[in-house]
Amino acid sequence: MSNEFLIDRLTVGLKPVRPRKPVIDGVIIGGICLLELILFLGMGATRPNMPLAMVQPSFWWKLTGLGLIALFSGAAAVMSFDPVRSPRRGLIAVVALVAICLGAGWMIDAGRGGWGAVVGRLDWRNGIWCVHDMTLLAIPPVMGLGVLMQRGAPTDRKGTAWMVGIAAAAWGAFVFVFACPFDDPLYTAVWYSVGCGIVTVVSRLALPILTRW
Amino acid sequence: MSDRGWTEMMAAAQSGNAAVYRRLLGEIDPWLHRYFVRRLPPAMVDDAVQDTLLAVHEKRHTYEPSRPFEPWLGAIARYKWIDRLRAMKSSRTEELTTDIAIPDHEDAVTSARSLERLLDELKPAQADVIRLVKLQGLSIQEASSRTGQTMSLVKVNIHRGLGRLSSLVRKRADVE
Repeated sequence: MSNEFLIDRLTVGLKPVRPRKPVIDGVIIGGICLLELILFLGMGATRPNMPLAMVQPSFWWKLTGLGLIALFSGAAAVMSFDPVRSPRRGLIAVVALVAICLGAGWMIDAGRGGWGAVVGRLDWRNGIWCVHDMTLLAIPPVMGLGVLMQRGAPTDRKGTAWMVGIAAAAWGAFVFVFACPFDDPLYTAVWYSVGCGIVTVVSRLALPILTRW
Repeated sequence: MSDRGWTEMMAAAQSGNAAVYRRLLGEIDPWLHRYFVRRLPPAMVDDAVQDTLLAVHEKRHTYEPSRPFEPWLGAIARYKWIDRLRAMKSSRTEELTTDIAIPDHEDAVTSARSLERLLDELKPAQADVIRLVKLQGLSIQEASSRTGQTMSLVKVNIHRGLGRLSSLVRKRADVE
């Protein structure tokens, strides 16, 4: 096929398009996340001892840390749907933010006694349930961001997929904080990292294939 | 045509002006040809140009009219270039016969020089087998006997070398 013929074919019946605006994408994904949070809380999934949790530093550590990671990585992911913008700097910043959050958790945890009780504190049976729930809660944002990624034109699909995975995982974990009855920072650091890690790796593997252009 | 002209033309194309869009695609076609001729073997240039024209068409809504057009076009062309380099990993190469007609050597020389610059940044073992198999069209077995590498090592070196080429291209600021 000659280029002339291709150009003719592309221009015949040309329809107007609305230029993509990152702000609109942000509003769409923000709306999906907010709706999920409202539905989750509306279904009565909140932990029963919420007033008690709200005086625990670890509760606010989880909520603030995950909220910041979700917000920052979500914004960086949406920006990277533009072909001219790379997600690399955002990824480095998000990794630094995660390290800061984990470091803050370690400081909160420093008062707790003894390494001997570590296995007991990890409580793996409940941990697996937590991983299960936060993974499910990450599905709406990962799907929403995946659709927006497909509609956009990311030129570093792998980097963007990492970013989408981190953002969706952090949001799923953020919503789950309202239901999670465990406040131990060690438990949170380990099991939340496992849950977020699963969502992030699955996104990294699946999204570059599904959003190829 | 200046970038400003292309910017205005693309904005008009986004509002559905087919005549202006046709002119724009007609003008970026030789630009893309020049872009790929410096970066790909001649046999791949036409496909890469057409692929990029299609991508420009499908993703035209991602262009923001307030920003210059050429960096946007360059980003898409670069993305398609990396795609082509990746595709070289899986594509079979056929040995060239000596009696094929070659109308013009200029494109081949330009792209070969550019590829050579990139190949120089690979390990010699990787660059050697990529030259032999992917550029000169030798079989894996022939490359193995010429370089003294085992056949599986030739395959691994081609795979790793092309992967490294893709990442080199991705990291490098596009100055041309």
